[in-house]
Amino acid sequence: MIRRAELWGGLFWLAVGAFVAWQGWLLGLGTLHEPGSGFLFFWLGLVMCAFSVTIALAGMRGQGPELADLWRGARWGRVLLVIAALIVYGVAFEPLGFVPCTLALLLFLMTVVDPVPLKLSVPISAAAAVGVWYVLQKLLLIQLPHGTLFE
Amino acid sequence: MEVLSGLMHGFGVALDPINLLYCFIGVFIGTLVGVLPGIGPISAMSLLLPVTLSGTPEAGIIMMAGIYYGSMYGGSTTSILVNIPGEAASVVTCIDGHEMAKIGRAGPALGIAALGSFVAGTFAIVVLMLVAPTLAKVAVAFGPAEYFSLMVLGLTILSFLTQGSMAKALLMACVGVVIGLIGLDQITGFPRLTFDRLELVDGIGLVPVVMGLFGVTEILCNLEQQVRRDVVQSRIGSLWPDKADMKASAAPIARGTVLGFLLGILPGGGAVISSFASYALERRLSKTPGRFGKGAIEGVAGPEAANNAAAGGAFIPLLTLGIPPNVVMALLLGAFVVHNVQPGPLLMTQHPQVFWGVIASMYIGNIMLLVLNMPLIGMWVQVLKAPYRILFPLILMFCIVGVFASGNAVFDVFVMIGSGVAGYLMRKFGYEAAPLVLAFVLGPMLENNLRKSLILSHGSFEIFVTRPISLLCLLVAVLLLLAPLLPALRRKREKVALDVTD
Repeated sequence: MIRRAELWGGLFWLAVGAFVAWQGWLLGLGTLHEPGSGFLFFWLGLVMCAFSVTIALAGMRGQGPELADLWRGARWGRVLLVIAALIVYGVAFEPLGFVPCTLALLLFLMTVVDPVPLKLSVPISAAAAVGVWYVLQKLLLIQLPHGTLFE
Repeated sequence: MEVLSGLMHGFGVALDPINLLYCFIGVFIGTLVGVLPGIGPISAMSLLLPVTLSGTPEAGIIMMAGIYYGSMYGGSTTSILVNIPGEAASVVTCIDGHEMAKIGRAGPALGIAALGSFVAGTFAIVVLMLVAPTLAKVAVAFGPAEYFSLMVLGLTILSFLTQGSMAKALLMACVGVVIGLIGLDQITGFPRLTFDRLELVDGIGLVPVVMGLFGVTEILCNLEQQVRRDVVQSRIGSLWPDKADMKASAAPIARGTVLGFLLGILPGGGAVISSFASYALERRLSKTPGRFGKGAIEGVAGPEAANNAAAGGAFIPLLTLGIPPNVVMALLLGAFVVHNVQPGPLLMTQHPQVFWGVIASMYIGNIMLLVLNMPLIGMWVQVLKAPYRILFPLILMFCIVGVFASGNAVFDVFVMIGSGVAGYLMRKFGYEAAPLVLAFVLGPMLENNLRKSLILSHGSFEIFVTRPISLLCLLVAVLLLLAPLLPALRRKREKVALDVTD
């Protein structure tokens, strides 16, 4: 029972629902004549709790897959690498600027995550990063970060 | 007469060189994303939403609409040649389309898919043009109670039609409304769930959420599986179906068109459901159902017509009521809003150039698509051969660029990454993203109409049951909510979900 995905999913959303309802309560429910800012949040939070309990109960009855089944046979290492790369990209985006960051991201994805030969990955990454920068910055006049570290 | 003069005005708008260019870009990109597995119309439309800002409202919306119906055309190419649906509505085309390709009949399969799509697309536009003005006149009488109940019905139907657990789908709809309400309260101006973050005061943007939940999630899910693409290597041959093929396909195309259009109007995955419904219908009506699954041309013609007709039908609720029936239309609503154009009953009178311009552009777009899909099929096959390991980094880069350009904020990039991870986990645990996104868009409207109704009725919920349209919508919603409790209906719904999953 404890390994059931439905149980953990249900419990997670139960916590989220309770949080939403609590926030709604804090914001103020108002009256039925004049509903307050938290009116819908509060009731939605309670409805979420009700659905979550249904889902968690299904898990407790042994329905649905086990947690380990969800990732069985999956190449989840690649997924983690991509998520990590995206977070690093987000953090470095403004300090380093668009071109170096994007070039590094593309090279990482094409050489580490799902490798292609260097003779392909390097020119494609460089052309894509510089090409997109040129089109956006120069032609469409959309401002991209140029790197606060280099200022 | 009114319709005819409106259409003439629309052609005047749509044939403007700039609008023609936008229409071409839209259908071209639509076909491209339809052909490429791993990126669908939703990601493409969110990506290009910021680009439309530089042009007129009609140009931007013409392009966005072109991407949608263009992707319906393009999706069939991948299904037939690679056995991987370019987008969800083409899943069923794989069954007989790819079988036809394997026995050397890829040409007629592609040809009939394009022809069926053209016929259905054109029919949908004609009916849309005839029905929309009348419906818009009726919709003027809608008050907040009707709008609220209609939105509740829309979300309930979508939750009912999604795969798997209805409780999960409804839960996702609630989550979507909550996320949609983050930011300033529209009535009191009070910040809600902003946690003192300035970036959240204006609410969470649609583009980063959609790009994360659909674009990034799709990439993460594809990466953890070994994507196998088995492109048909034999010559495609003549695309023009022969006499026997035409005869066999005529009735399925006609039935698929009508069925698709009607299902497309309903909220929920109209195009997806209609293609499955059309396939099931054709198999049932066939004198030789055993041929289905082994390369029956009817199994390509009917569903392809159905999904294109549904794409046209989906415009009706958006253009006449201002309510998007599915995620793609929700994005189109976003395109209307960024241009300060409110779709709904007054669209035709306040912005006739947008309403009629978009409708007229669909005629032109359908012809462009026929030209793009018939002679240029070889080019699309070459695009299909591009390896996913090169495509996915580029798609990811375009997602980041699109999200950043939409709000010029790194915060949005983080929202996209967060939504992508959340979407990946949701898919793993069996939670659908579509109800969340639709509810996210409808959330502020839903709350606004609920509060207005309660203020108007002095706090009485009777307003929702004393007005006939509102009562009807709520009754249907309640029936759908209770449906899973009835064993026979539950089995039927689970069967539909299973068919879609298969």
